[in-house]
Amino acid sequence: MVTIATTQRRRRSGLGMAMPAILLLLAFFVVPVVMLLTRSVTDPEPGLHNYAALLGSPTYGRIFFNTFFVSGLVTLITALIAFPIAWALAIMPRLPAGILFAVILLSMWTNLLTRTYAWMVMLQQTGIINRMLQSIGLIDTPIQLTNNLIGVTIGMVYIMLPFMILPLYGVIRKIDPAILQAAALCGASRMQALVRVLLPLAAPGIASGGLMVFVMSLGYYVTPSLLGGTANMMLAEFIVQQVQSLLNWGMGGAAAFVLLVVTLALYALQLRLFEPRETR
Amino acid sequence: MKHMLTALAVAGALASTGAQAQTITFSSWGGTTQDAQTEHWAAPFTADTGIGVVQDGPTDYGKFQAMVEAGAVSWDVVDVEFDFALQAGQMGLLEPLDFDIIDKDQLDPRFVSDYAVGSFYYSFTLGWNPANFSGAQPSTFADLFDLEAFPGKRTFYAWSHPGVIEAALLADGVAPDDLYPLDLDRAFAKLDTIKDEIIWWEGGAQSQLLLASGEAPLGLFWNGRLYALEAEGLEVGISWDHNITAADALVVPKGTNNREAAMQFIAEATSARGQADFAAASAYAPINLASPDLMDPAIRATLPDVQTAVQVNADLAYWAENREAIGNRWYAWQAQ
Repeated sequence: MVTIATTQRRRRSGLGMAMPAILLLLAFFVVPVVMLLTRSVTDPEPGLHNYAALLGSPTYGRIFFNTFFVSGLVTLITALIAFPIAWALAIMPRLPAGILFAVILLSMWTNLLTRTYAWMVMLQQTGIINRMLQSIGLIDTPIQLTNNLIGVTIGMVYIMLPFMILPLYGVIRKIDPAILQAAALCGASRMQALVRVLLPLAAPGIASGGLMVFVMSLGYYVTPSLLGGTANMMLAEFIVQQVQSLLNWGMGGAAAFVLLVVTLALYALQLRLFEPRETR
Repeated sequence: MKHMLTALAVAGALASTGAQAQTITFSSWGGTTQDAQTEHWAAPFTADTGIGVVQDGPTDYGKFQAMVEAGAVSWDVVDVEFDFALQAGQMGLLEPLDFDIIDKDQLDPRFVSDYAVGSFYYSFTLGWNPANFSGAQPSTFADLFDLEAFPGKRTFYAWSHPGVIEAALLADGVAPDDLYPLDLDRAFAKLDTIKDEIIWWEGGAQSQLLLASGEAPLGLFWNGRLYALEAEGLEVGISWDHNITAADALVVPKGTNNREAAMQFIAEATSARGQADFAAASAYAPINLASPDLMDPAIRATLPDVQTAVQVNADLAYWAENREAIGNRWYAWQAQ
């Protein structure tokens, strides 16, 4: 029997073991973040003017809108594609499921820049996708697939898919397939079984995958900058311009802080809504 | 435990006595340019002095400033854009150059300051892909803005930097002598007329991909990148009309531990031979006035420094002074 005292003791000794990791995080993560945030209210002069400029200007407002809009769109499409794949992985026989897993993971292990350049080549006007669409007669002249919202969305959905598939698979695998038979026996149509039974059971997976994809998308740089145009500029690109090109650490720090606050708020919301009660 | 510490101490002492093999770190922009710098500057420098050169990059101004301010400088010589070099000098981020070690008598005075000497200079030139134009070919900056005669995407350098704004003003009829101070309202109004058709390139490789594939059949390019495409066998249109020069600079971050070696490296890089060999490999122009005589005339003919008749020099001092103001406006305009 585990008493409260032993649990507490265990927790304390666990903390001791985790100390090096915590110190490492403090030194290399928390301290730099705090320094950057400090600069956002001190650089070039003390005050909140960086935040005023950031949140007051319509141009920067547009960058915020783009960031959330693109991230939301990517999350939605990723979820729609990932759900059937995760379902298939959960019910497939072992060997084909293993192969499918390997394909998904392999794509994750390939260099991000390489994959993004590959999309640039495939999506361009003379690229394989336009040529294919032309040869099957769907379009007459090449359509613009890069340097706009389409390019960013395709590139980012592709990169984010594994981060949605894996948590979804974890949840779906634990669902007893008999539950769907039970639903059918009770007279549910396939659609009803999906909406009323399967989706609610998979909701924690959708939520954690969705949050991960959304938050990662918020801070994404390489893909939007190579596959998007400046009309869909996102916050990370703005931060790079401010810091790398203009040495404007104050403004870059302010933008980073706003991003951080939004991310933490989303995380807190997800914990509240989907964390199983007994661990609280 | 004690033994281990002694062993470590001995090993440390051995390592430091063995450290006569001094190294310095050079940061540049990667790609074919840094390859040429490695081959024609770093290799002869190491052969002459025994000092190794570690290649690093890409150069990042935010990182540059952060390492100087933190007092932890890991770059000894850095290739930066010239307008940044002038600004960084004013901001106190640079070591003054030692002109007892670097011989500046032979250097083009346009590219010499207390804190920076030219690394090479280059031109922004009009380039196009002839496969995309059946009839007339573009030839002037005005054609870059003529969507009827030359439809299709055009590609420009994404970062706030001399080049695109000047090209817009020249295309709008401003005389080269009247460019500065820049009329930004007029420049952005001109750029607005083609804004939807612009694809921005952030690096040389991207610009080459856009042009070679015809995704952007025309644009404003670093001349060396067009030359490299030609060298690979692609047919490329180049017009030197109003080619706009800008330069890279070699600088030493304040607080380096290898000040003297850094100065020696710059001396080697800006020597007549170093500049001539680098120019031949990169198609960028040498900033050492004695270099052209050392070069094959056929190669020289492809460089910006024989195009001075139709050349416009970007005012790098003006840019250094107004870098932040122009930059803020530039990025805000891009995102609008």
